[in-house]
Amino acid sequence: MKEFLRRFNWLQFLSMSALIAIGAFALASAGAARGSAPLAEKWQSMLATAALGYALYFALAVCDYRRLLDLLAYPVYLAAVAALGLVLAAGTEQFGARRWLWFFQPSEFAKLAVLAAFAQFFGTERERFRGQRGFRGFLCAAAMAAVPCALVLLEPDLGTALALVPAVTAMLLAAGVWRRGVLALLTVAAIAAGSVLGAVGAAERPGTPPEVRERILRCVPLREHQLKRVKTFIAPDEDVRGDGYNLAQAKMTIGAGGMAGKGYGRGEAIRRGLLPPMGIMNDFIFCVWAEEMGYLRGTLPLLALFALLCLSTAWTAVQAADGRGRLLALGMATLLLAHVYINIGMSVGLVPITGLPLPFISLGRTFLLTAMCGLGLVQSAAVHGEDKQ
Amino acid sequence: MRPEERSDLLGRLSVFAVFAAATVVAIAVLAVRVKRVQVDDAADYGSEMTRQSFRRVQTAGLRGRILARGGEVLADNRQVYAIALLPEAFRPRKDAPAAAQIEAAVARLSALVERPPDVATNAVARHLRFSRILPCALWLDASDAEIARFSEHAAEHPGFAVVGGRARRYPQGALAAHLLGYVGSVERQVGSGDTRMNAIEKEGKGNSGVEYQYDEFLRGMAGEVRVFVDARGYATARETLIEPCAGPDLRLTIDLPLQRAAEAALSGCCGACVALDPRDGSVRALASAPGFDPNRFVPTVPGALYARLRDDPERPLLNRATNGQFAPGSIFKPVTAIAGMAAGLPPEEEFECTGVYRLGTMRIRCARTWGHGPENLVHALRDSCNPYFCHWGVRAGTNAILRAAAAFGLGTRTGIDFPTDSPGVLPDAGWKLRNFADRWRPGDVAQMSMGQGMLLVTPLQMARMAAAIGTGRLAVPRLNAELPAETAPLAVDPQALSAVREGMRQVVEDPVGTGRRGGLGVDARVIGKTGTAQVGRGETLRKNTWFMAYAEPTATSRRQEPLAVALVVERGESGGGTAAPRVGDILRIFYNRESEDPEGA
Repeated sequence: MKEFLRRFNWLQFLSMSALIAIGAFALASAGAARGSAPLAEKWQSMLATAALGYALYFALAVCDYRRLLDLLAYPVYLAAVAALGLVLAAGTEQFGARRWLWFFQPSEFAKLAVLAAFAQFFGTERERFRGQRGFRGFLCAAAMAAVPCALVLLEPDLGTALALVPAVTAMLLAAGVWRRGVLALLTVAAIAAGSVLGAVGAAERPGTPPEVRERILRCVPLREHQLKRVKTFIAPDEDVRGDGYNLAQAKMTIGAGGMAGKGYGRGEAIRRGLLPPMGIMNDFIFCVWAEEMGYLRGTLPLLALFALLCLSTAWTAVQAADGRGRLLALGMATLLLAHVYINIGMSVGLVPITGLPLPFISLGRTFLLTAMCGLGLVQSAAVHGEDKQ
Repeated sequence: MRPEERSDLLGRLSVFAVFAAATVVAIAVLAVRVKRVQVDDAADYGSEMTRQSFRRVQTAGLRGRILARGGEVLADNRQVYAIALLPEAFRPRKDAPAAAQIEAAVARLSALVERPPDVATNAVARHLRFSRILPCALWLDASDAEIARFSEHAAEHPGFAVVGGRARRYPQGALAAHLLGYVGSVERQVGSGDTRMNAIEKEGKGNSGVEYQYDEFLRGMAGEVRVFVDARGYATARETLIEPCAGPDLRLTIDLPLQRAAEAALSGCCGACVALDPRDGSVRALASAPGFDPNRFVPTVPGALYARLRDDPERPLLNRATNGQFAPGSIFKPVTAIAGMAAGLPPEEEFECTGVYRLGTMRIRCARTWGHGPENLVHALRDSCNPYFCHWGVRAGTNAILRAAAAFGLGTRTGIDFPTDSPGVLPDAGWKLRNFADRWRPGDVAQMSMGQGMLLVTPLQMARMAAAIGTGRLAVPRLNAELPAETAPLAVDPQALSAVREGMRQVVEDPVGTGRRGGLGVDARVIGKTGTAQVGRGETLRKNTWFMAYAEPTATSRRQEPLAVALVVERGESGGGTAAPRVGDILRIFYNRESEDPEGA
């Protein structure tokens, strides 16, 4: 027990708990603002989920992650893929996407499943087969990531895929799988993304003749709603009534907070419903917090807590006993960082609008449980790490 | 620590370092970007939000009152209450669209109020679409009992409220209805461009009469209410920025007791009466009968009532005093008399009236079948002798008569500050050619000499003429007491005028004068002229009977001011028998001390 407490990653636990507390406060304020009972009680159900999450967190932390991974990594991965397939076949549709299987979103859970499977597969000291650290290993990794990603994209849920890619890439780089090739691919991807943005930007520039614009847009490999989001991202002010609406309202809500904020429970924008009610509880919860608490007392502490959480989680990668623990810690840290960057970035126009929860703050119960389980696993890696000093 | 362990640890640390660097960069980028949105550009976003967060509503200013000469209120405003629906209480929900919620709520409330709402369902829907920041008044002008019933059970009917408003009231009822006019309600945008209002409360707009003429003057200053709204435009709070102001009072020259007397004199018949202060043209009474109650036209004219008034053969909506055009008949004879004297005809010269005047094949009969015998101008005026004036007018000539008539302002608008001001018709050769495609014949001169034929005048013109005969100055009639008097010397020889006055004095004072009853028992010196104009032919033949009078007070008169009156009664018997007694009644009320005038000054 004493050993457990000594090795326990307190920084990670405390920053996570602080974020959960902030989440409950933000949700309570956002829910109360709309004066409707079901929304006003959401923060309680979020705390109930967090309680379950704590139970899982400690259960996972106490168990040796190595045994857990040996036992569960692949079955859970397969289960997640099956669940994703089931969602497409029999899921519940909401807001134009088929993401729900009864009460949970398999795509959130699949994130952890993919990370665990990657850790289990690439975290071994010795190569499982010849070339595991080379191109063949990369092909395996690509296959493992591609199946769930493809299923998730079919839902469609671009955000999950977007968040998963950096985590998986970081794990590959850390595991030293085909490092040169991955770096090269990253460069190519960056160039491709840049040119898509550039092409759409050129097409949407006011002076472009319509037929040229049509031709450019046909060459861009994006679906219509994705293309719209990219356009909105490039020129947010041109379509304030339509797709740019959410971004404009989000910026306005954040801007209304200013340096000092309106004060807790006094967010005007939320009260007036500038943003859709489920939007402020999920994708735009940051705006609520930013407006009410301001830059100094709201934005900066929140960002600092997220930085602390990511760094403390990643620090486990230094402590962990084996490669699996290291990869898991790094993967979770990257996943959280990607979530934070994409969610907050989209509210301020850094990233195109995608539905992705802000970890521990948004009312995404499946993701909350997923993140707490993931951190529990990482905690286990910390607790059961080597003891060299 | 073994070297391989050492390099392993270094490798892990370097991985951590790379990740830490990435984390710091990502968080820093977010912090910088959020700062730009939240702090640096906050003024823009903040003000944009403020702009989006409220709507400007223009509240109606209170319309100024209209007062009579003595300060009596002719038009003011009363407080009215309506039971209104608050759109913000009926936001559309997924399971219940606004229309369904409202229909159910209105049905429940109708049972309580015990009458259906005054506003149709589609009008409510339109209100919700375009002016949802304003309450939608459903039960207009609710009675005290209805308000009480609602207030008692208000808690059971959320989403409804009593809203106050102002409605125009005419405390004197139908009195001076044509003169005052009535108001409708309009949205009047005061601001423009950036100061445009998002919604405008309806306010009164004069549709006729003085209300129309002095609409700008009476109008109050609009107020402004700021309504805070949510993203869907439903009100969340209200704040008054500018209180609306009442418009100034308009004081008229109307003498309320005299107006009442004039309307009483016209009761039961179709006709009009105008009384002026001859010195400055102040209109003391302006009445037209039959009338209507303008209170029933507020806030909007009920369709059925309007149709009935419009189709009534007696035409109660017509303001006969300024807009009714009548043949003047014999009250035109003073003009003919003056025209002859201006043409050099001797007024003392006698002309033998045989009861009929022949001109070519035309025969014009005198009122006295067997004739008046030899008559001079004064006696001819006293007797209203047709043959004398036909003879006199034909000798004077058309141009002289037209000149004299024009001197009294006939054939032109009087210039009164009132929206309707008919010029009448002063026909000449060109006019007849244009309108009847016929040349000007000697018979036309003879007809015009006794005020018949194509000649048309308004009662207002005749009152003005009576005033001009009495004072020798032609005044522009005015209703607004603040307007400066506008008078000009009459382009008529004073001697001719005094001869006409003498004739008109005898009309009233001589035992055989035609208008004796116009001055009977009046404590004032009255001169006057009767008129009986024949209009129409055969079946529709009728007589419009006139009396015009000019009165000057005596030492014992109650009112020490002169008065000019013209009164016309359609389908009367004769000027002396129908019109003159009514004018006599009016003058007695104005001048006699013993008159039973409850509001006498």
